[in-house]
Amino acid sequence: MWGLRISSMLWLSLLVVVLLVLPLVVTSRFAIDIFIRILLFAFIGVAWNLMGGYAKQLSLGHAAYFGLGAYTSTILQIDFGISPWIGMVAGGVVAMLASLPIGALCFRLRGPYFAISTIATAQVLMLLFLKFRDFAWGAEGTTIPNLGNAPLMMQFEAKAAYYYIALGLLAIGLAITYRIERSWMGYYLVAIGEDEDAAEAIGVNAPKVKREIYMISAFLTALAGTFYVQYIYFIDPNTAFSFNISVEAALVSIVGGVGTLWGPVIGTVLLETTSALLQSWLGSGFGGIQLTVYSLILIGVILWRPTGLLGVFIEAYRRIVRADPSKQAALDG
Amino acid sequence: MLETVVQAVINGLLIGGIYALVSIGVTLIFGVVKIVNFAQGEFVMIGMYISFFLSSYFGIDPLVSLAVSMPALFLVGLCLQHFLIRRVLGLGDMPQIFLTFALSLLLMNLALMAFTANYRTVHTWYSDEAIHLGEIYVPVAKLIAFVLAMALSGTLWVFLQTTDMGKAMRAAAQKPEVAMLMGINPNRVFAVATGVSLALAGAAGSLLMPFYPASPTAGQVFVLMAFVAVVLGTLGNVRGALIASLMMGVAESLGIQFVGADSGLIVVFLMLLLTLAIRPSGLAGGGAR
Repeated sequence: MWGLRISSMLWLSLLVVVLLVLPLVVTSRFAIDIFIRILLFAFIGVAWNLMGGYAKQLSLGHAAYFGLGAYTSTILQIDFGISPWIGMVAGGVVAMLASLPIGALCFRLRGPYFAISTIATAQVLMLLFLKFRDFAWGAEGTTIPNLGNAPLMMQFEAKAAYYYIALGLLAIGLAITYRIERSWMGYYLVAIGEDEDAAEAIGVNAPKVKREIYMISAFLTALAGTFYVQYIYFIDPNTAFSFNISVEAALVSIVGGVGTLWGPVIGTVLLETTSALLQSWLGSGFGGIQLTVYSLILIGVILWRPTGLLGVFIEAYRRIVRADPSKQAALDG
Repeated sequence: MLETVVQAVINGLLIGGIYALVSIGVTLIFGVVKIVNFAQGEFVMIGMYISFFLSSYFGIDPLVSLAVSMPALFLVGLCLQHFLIRRVLGLGDMPQIFLTFALSLLLMNLALMAFTANYRTVHTWYSDEAIHLGEIYVPVAKLIAFVLAMALSGTLWVFLQTTDMGKAMRAAAQKPEVAMLMGINPNRVFAVATGVSLALAGAAGSLLMPFYPASPTAGQVFVLMAFVAVVLGTLGNVRGALIASLMMGVAESLGIQFVGADSGLIVVFLMLLLTLAIRPSGLAGGGAR
């Protein structure tokens, strides 16, 4: 047991070193851009996975919090000159507060209808931001003033800086997941995910646990929103509340493996790498091919391995490490 | 003022008939197979393209092409049930939601690659016609679509009430285990329910074609509307879905008229959220689980 712990610690530190050195070795802006996308969407996936994976509350409306985070920090920055670093946290708090009424409404439904009602909340927010143009620039959106190299305003000349921020966010997300996984809350979440009525029968306060995990998940998703608009220097309702964000958050977790620490990360690496490869092979002019491949991957994973691909990797790893001849023979035969 | 309201209500009711076809399809699959079909809108879209191509290559009127789109989508439904949905039954919500969700993405993007994002329209002799009743006018194409949609919904209701297959479906919807004990073959019932549901979506597509442009994403509005209607009208309840769809058509139309052209959906979603706040079990009562 202890031995396994040490070996996984070794692997983890190796991974951290590689990730830290990566932007120093790979200097192509295109490659770094892909790395940033992977880190960011892995982080969003991790945030989604806390609620969608462990407690199996399938939200398809996490764009609501992504967008609220993005808009809060941008409004604070442009209208009040407040640094996005502070805006990021403020956005997280706004998202947390917003998750309370949204959760109060949506948690009245379960399963697929919970998912549908979360879509509705994200869409309502998007439509509101489209509608009230004097409040937040309406449909045209706005560019974020480029201040050159201003680390205090979360703006950098070097792309690598954004890479490290995204890496930091992902590390925070994973650390929080790791802590929760090993706490009472983690067990409550899994119990709710397995069977909510049974969990309540043995004394789990399901509404409270769901409310709390939704707040944490919303907070983290909002941080990603702030980071994203700072990275692309632009915000409009269709970007910030894009349904694709909600989808991608859930998608990466499902492909990788819901309710696991590393599932969303594995899922993002697979999907984003595939999409980057497709784009470089086919060019971006080929509309539709990327999502076609995404959906085929998703259908394949669901039919072949509904618990996600993480399990496949773990099995493969064990097989290589142990090289158990009897199992090997069974697999060959 | 009064005319404006009446006009908006009529427009809403007419489009609500189409929403009803889509929502009845969604609620039928949900009631019988216990699956939420996120791809229902894409089958509407396929119905639209079937009618579009039949019209542009062979000059067949979209209303006549109902005779092609409905059976075609019925067969697609049988295959969908047999090759995909059957494999995820009993696996829990997550694989089920994301299977149909992935299917929706797949169909939409295949359509994008095959047909491009261009809007396709079919112009029929009745596309621009309207019946004038004083200040009120009723577009003929929408009126025909509404009447046929109501006729199809009525036919489905009679089918569910009187035929053996219909009764088997309702039995499977209420108590699947007991239905099986009574000798009902669930695979067959599920396949027919999915087939009928997709045929309704195909019909909605064909009926829309004379006044609504086809595009790869055309189905999305309808599926969103259908979901709201299905929640409002109590999950799995066909009559509830029908009434809720008509109400939503009206609410959307009043929203467009009095709040602004882009506000139809806001009104509809707010209706959903309000209903969840006040009557989470839907307007017709019953369990929301």
